Amino acid sequence: MTSVTTTQAGSMSGEFDNTMDDGVSKAPLVLGEATYREITRKICRVAEAPKAPKAWYVAFAISTALVGVLGAMVTYAIATGVGVWGNNSPVFWGFPIINFVFWVGLAHAGTFISAILLLFRQKWRTGINRFAEATTVFAVVCAGLFPAIHVGRPWLAYWMLPIPNVMGVWPNFYSPLLWDAIAVGTYSTVSTLFWYVGMIPDLATFRDRAKTRRRQFIYGILAMGWRGSARHWQLYERTVLILAGLATALVLGVSSTVSTDFAVSQLPGWHETIFPPYFTVGAIFSGFALVLALAIPARELFGLKDIITRRHLDNLAKITLVMGSIVTYIYLMEFFIAYYSGNGYEQFAYLTRIMGPYWRMGWLILFCNCLVPQIFWFKFARTTWWLAWPAAVLCLVGMWSERFVIIITILNRDFLPSAWHNYSPTYVDWLTFAGSIGLFFTLFLLFCRFLPMIAMCEVKAILPQAHGHGHEDSAAEAGH
Amino acid sequence: MSTAQNMEKPMSAPRLYGLLAEFSDVQALLDAAVALRKAGYKRWDCYTPFPVHGMEKAMGLRPSILPWIAFTGAMGGVVSILALAPLCNAFLYPMIFSGKPYWGLPGHIPMAFALGILGGTVFVVHGMFVLARLPQFYHPLLHSERFRRVTDDGMFIAVEATDPSYSPSATTELLKKLGATAVEEVRD
Repeated sequence: MTSVTTTQAGSMSGEFDNTMDDGVSKAPLVLGEATYREITRKICRVAEAPKAPKAWYVAFAISTALVGVLGAMVTYAIATGVGVWGNNSPVFWGFPIINFVFWVGLAHAGTFISAILLLFRQKWRTGINRFAEATTVFAVVCAGLFPAIHVGRPWLAYWMLPIPNVMGVWPNFYSPLLWDAIAVGTYSTVSTLFWYVGMIPDLATFRDRAKTRRRQFIYGILAMGWRGSARHWQLYERTVLILAGLATALVLGVSSTVSTDFAVSQLPGWHETIFPPYFTVGAIFSGFALVLALAIPARELFGLKDIITRRHLDNLAKITLVMGSIVTYIYLMEFFIAYYSGNGYEQFAYLTRIMGPYWRMGWLILFCNCLVPQIFWFKFARTTWWLAWPAAVLCLVGMWSERFVIIITILNRDFLPSAWHNYSPTYVDWLTFAGSIGLFFTLFLLFCRFLPMIAMCEVKAILPQAHGHGHEDSAAEAGH
Repeated sequence: MSTAQNMEKPMSAPRLYGLLAEFSDVQALLDAAVALRKAGYKRWDCYTPFPVHGMEKAMGLRPSILPWIAFTGAMGGVVSILALAPLCNAFLYPMIFSGKPYWGLPGHIPMAFALGILGGTVFVVHGMFVLARLPQFYHPLLHSERFRRVTDDGMFIAVEATDPSYSPSATTELLKKLGATAVEEVRD
């Protein structure tokens, strides 16, 4: 373990261990040659290179092929009817709702990093916030797809809106399903605006460095004529701060609202007050696992090790550990309350989870979400890619399984045993889910290639030379 | 943008926009901003690749009204849903859902919460664009080749020719004295 002062940082490359402060000075967050110009060059290089790395083309080919599969499966389901899925009575929800809840959860890390960590002045967030926000936007796109096709007749989806109509019927504003639609609609709007507003100064950098007319034109339109004016920066910073405050409330609110789809119902195993925090923590847990799983290959592939440093991976893994531990606590508490309530239906629901027809999934959850993140107690695991990456992917598998178990094991055991019916997904279900993963990666890969993947202006602002050393008039401001 | 450079030369000489001065580091820029403000200049601005802490104080910028715009939007969102829900479920087609009252606040809180955030966000983002007068695809400063570095590593102060205290020679002198590494005229 070596520690360095900021002045030494210039000679440190991306593999340097900056995960600990030496007690005298902070370890640097930006490694390598930490000048404004060098940061611009390193980050723009990704989008300006005439050709992307080979791995990018391979990944893009696979992802777009999966998007084709997604299109085919959605078309097939809509043209034929939802009977092509494994959904049955009483398991009416099935894969579409599992995948919806899963994808909404994955979105949460981006908002957490860009909103809550901004309010807490966590400077390390600047290296990863932009692409974490991108995962938010794209995950919400994937999430929104599933309820839209789950209604079965998507061309009638506008019935959910309060539009005057000849039938004189209106949406039920007491329904959690409507709350959910409103919450997720708000989430997609807010996260897209937050992402775009934050990107404007960096789009201006792309515009000013553009070599071709086409790039000048497209980035010129997107940058809206940004010119770095101090008056604009003042408004920009204030807007980002207000958006962070609003998004902080939102990140805690969206999954809470999604959980009311379950908690407001009367079913044992769903009708629980712990559900809103349970869903939110699970969402943040899976989201951080996703960002970790994406950051590890991205820094390698695009040569960004100086900006997404080991410290970033270390911190992401630590938050994953904390969230995974809270999830574990909630699992234990659910089982305990089921026992302590003395309610036979509640106890049956939880025994079914680990001993019923889906017991393998039940134990897989406990393994992936409770045991696997515990390796992040060890610094070696947090900063070693061949340990951290599989662990993060296992956390994602665990969270998807959790959504599966919450939905399927409660629905397939109805109150009367005569109504019991097991659920098994069809190939259409599986391919639609795989297609949504392809859609996510297609969007993410396009983003990495064509948009500023790292918030250049924010990374520059955390360099030591970006701060004045206090002034008669500005001392109070600059002193914090 | 280069659109302007590729255009043919206009017949009359272009109007003078003002002086563009480049500075080498953040502290020099902050000091120069304080000095310009104290010298009584009114129509000038600093340009940087990232937000500079203490710049608002140095330039004497007043806080914006953005928080109030956001608050208005948030309250608008809350009020609109609390009005829309009873309008639909209590007046236009009165209906009892699972024994709940026609209009009950607790069941409408989740929507009011979400729409408050939505209203605040939409208002604050649009408010920012309106107050910053963006999008603005043409600006005289974008003619300057040097100014393109403002989104990379350049730090600038531009004093407009319309400023009452502006004088071609005296302002150039002042900017140089404040540590500008280069001063150039920018034309419209």
